[in-house]
Amino acid sequence: MLKDRLLELFKKYEQDVQQVVAEVLTLEQEHISMERPRVKEQIKDIIDRVVKDEA
Amino acid sequence: MTDTATSRDTVVIDEAVHEIYKQLTEGNDPANVPFRTMKDVFMWAACLGYRRGERRPLTGKRVTIFRWAQFSPQIDIPILKALAIADTGDINVLLNQDEVLTIAEEYANAGIHELRAGVLDQYGQPLWNLVAMLSDKEGI
Amino acid sequence: MRLERITMENFRQYYGRQRLTFSKDPQRNVTVIHGVNGAGKTSLFLAINWCLYGEGVSNVGELISKEAISRAQPGETVQTLVELAFTHNGERYLVSRRLSGVKQPDGSIAINSQDDFTMMRIQWDGQAQRVNNPIGTMNAILPSNVRTYFLFDGEKIDNFAKPEASDEVRYAIYNVLKLEVLTRARRHLEDVAAEYRRELKRVSTGELRELVEREEKARKEKEQALARKEELEREIESARRKIADIDQRLREIQDARALQQQRERIERDLKQRESELRELVEEIRGIATSSFVTIAHPAIERALAILDEKRERGEIPSNIRQQFIQDLIERLQCICGRPFELNSPEHDRLLALMNSSFPGSLEDEVLDTSAALRPLVERGQALKEGLDKAMRRRTNLLDLIQAREEELDDVRRQLKGSPQEEISRLEKQRQDFQADIESYRLEQGNLDTRIEALNKQIAELGKQIEKAKKAESKERLLTRKASLAQRAADAIDEMYQVFADEMRQRIEAETKKIFKQLIWKDSHFQDIRLGPDYNLEVIDRYGLPARPELSAGERQVLSLSFITAMARVSGEEAPLVMDTPFGRLSSYHRNSITEHLPELADQLVLFVTDEELRGEARRNLEPRIGAEYRLEFDRRTSCTEIIEVRS
Repeated sequence: MLKDRLLELFKKYEQDVQQVVAEVLTLEQEHISMERPRVKEQIKDIIDRVVKDEA
Repeated sequence: MTDTATSRDTVVIDEAVHEIYKQLTEGNDPANVPFRTMKDVFMWAACLGYRRGERRPLTGKRVTIFRWAQFSPQIDIPILKALAIADTGDINVLLNQDEVLTIAEEYANAGIHELRAGVLDQYGQPLWNLVAMLSDKEGI
Repeated sequence: MRLERITMENFRQYYGRQRLTFSKDPQRNVTVIHGVNGAGKTSLFLAINWCLYGEGVSNVGELISKEAISRAQPGETVQTLVELAFTHNGERYLVSRRLSGVKQPDGSIAINSQDDFTMMRIQWDGQAQRVNNPIGTMNAILPSNVRTYFLFDGEKIDNFAKPEASDEVRYAIYNVLKLEVLTRARRHLEDVAAEYRRELKRVSTGELRELVEREEKARKEKEQALARKEELEREIESARRKIADIDQRLREIQDARALQQQRERIERDLKQRESELRELVEEIRGIATSSFVTIAHPAIERALAILDEKRERGEIPSNIRQQFIQDLIERLQCICGRPFELNSPEHDRLLALMNSSFPGSLEDEVLDTSAALRPLVERGQALKEGLDKAMRRRTNLLDLIQAREEELDDVRRQLKGSPQEEISRLEKQRQDFQADIESYRLEQGNLDTRIEALNKQIAELGKQIEKAKKAESKERLLTRKASLAQRAADAIDEMYQVFADEMRQRIEAETKKIFKQLIWKDSHFQDIRLGPDYNLEVIDRYGLPARPELSAGERQVLSLSFITAMARVSGEEAPLVMDTPFGRLSSYHRNSITEHLPELADQLVLFVTDEELRGEARRNLEPRIGAEYRLEFDRRTSCTEIIEVRS
């Protein structure tokens, strides 16, 4: 599957980057049909969470 | 007096005069620092306030400077009660510790300025200024 | 996505409620829908698009069946509804879109501006659960931006193979392969990183380091001051020793001895007086601070007066308590021993007294307070007298000290003025050392003041540092967030091209594979190339682009190969729904394609005209056909009916 191949490509990056990329891609996919989706707040939430997990 | 469990047990002053209390008590040299405790400053200020006949309610932010327990039962507390009775003319005030304290706090809030003026604003060392204030109060 | 069933109600020329079930059988995965042009293929095609995406319709007003409108009464609501059931990743979904309107008196219809879209997840026991985020879910299943590559119009099938089509090819790959998703993700992450950095600028003040430096500086200065104080102390010690030596010498010298001894006596006495003075000042302070009692005199007098007044007003005499009266009443006996009777005047008087007296605790208060206040009057007086006495003693002591100091000066003068040079010299030295000690003491005093100020400063800075540390930890968090967002954006940026290239190459390989499969007889094509410029080209055996020589049919096949290659590589599970795919193919190509087409997708839905599917083409497809329908258009009613041909 495309997504798997995509995620595989990112495996060379650190764990936190991988997690952010995976979640943001899913988020963007869900909003792909919108012209100007309002995803920034959700992206910030993702980053918040991943940064805290790291700590 | 009323059940002390429900009465206030902290004595408060206006934040604006906190500095005066500190100036009168901080330091080592007795001639320059006439008071050892905040309680003493407070008692002086309250009695001076009564003599002026002025009660000044606290308006600004409040600072706790000491606890009720600091008052001595033989001297300080009877005087506080005397101020309250003399102020209200009503002996029932003896049953209300909070009000006795409030009356004293408001007299102190007025009297502290006179205390400062008499002790710190005069030429000479503060202790001798304080002593001078006592002899000025002749005619008692 | 795998289509199960479509239900249409009053949709365009489909009057009433009509249903069509698609074939899901993996072996027989082809659903064929026959119809002449105008029979309703386009509408059915449109129904799928409109239901899933609300798109593809230029005039919404034309959607509701005219027949249904005409049969309705003015004021009556008429609606059109399309329902699509499908499965995806093992889950079953039911999607419906409804549009309604009110019939007007003039025969027209006033359409509601908003259509009604719902999506449900159906569990295998039949229970339905509403999907909360239908658009997001549809986007995850089959986004609308790629649907045109799966649900497409056969007439346009050769678009990708046109020479000028590189933009279209790139655009198609971009969308189907989710490159748009990557682009957006990168852009949004960049924006978020920039926002964090902006906020970081606002929050960070760089204060902490400065504060720490200042604190260190203050501490250092304090250290130095303390060290200097100690040094001075040693100097003072040294000077004292030197003075002691001189004293010793002077005692040894005949003509100086007497004066020296006198000096020593005076100094001893002075020391003692000074000590007495210090104690006295301490004592005076104690009295003075307690003298608020004196100040309070008027208040005490007035309070006592009020308290006494209450007592004297015919109420209980000072020592008698309520309990006592109660006892008397019970015993019916007066305090003097005389009995009285119930309801006698004496009894009544006692009762009245008891009722008019204070409540128990107030009475105690009155008594205790009076008792405590009385001695304070005397105390105030005593304090005053004590203070006066102490002040007088102070004055005396000060005078005495002054007298002694004058005597001391006298001794010094005599020694300094001695005719004996040695004595004079020694005395001068002694006075110099004494002056030095005084300087040192003065400096020590200044240092003390400075140290006190520094202590205050250090305490204050300590507080500020705590605050700044808190702010800094906020800073650090923001920095980490900004860094993470940026790294994620950069990662996507780096991987984008790698990914895009890889995908392009895979599509190229897959297109070639499929193309060969579909036109397997032809061997004069060497290769398919899909270069970085996104030109889709067929390479002939001479290694040259063969596209200009491609027939229309071959171009169509190339496009079709490309589309299905994209679908495969993207891994999208989607049905291929084609409208008149064979219209312009040669019979040769048609036959070839029909043999292999069913393999290109999990589910295939073909809208065909009868001419398209005949003979060998038909025979090729036959084993794979799982459902077949015919659209019958009645010219009289202008309505189409769906007839099932085979199940």
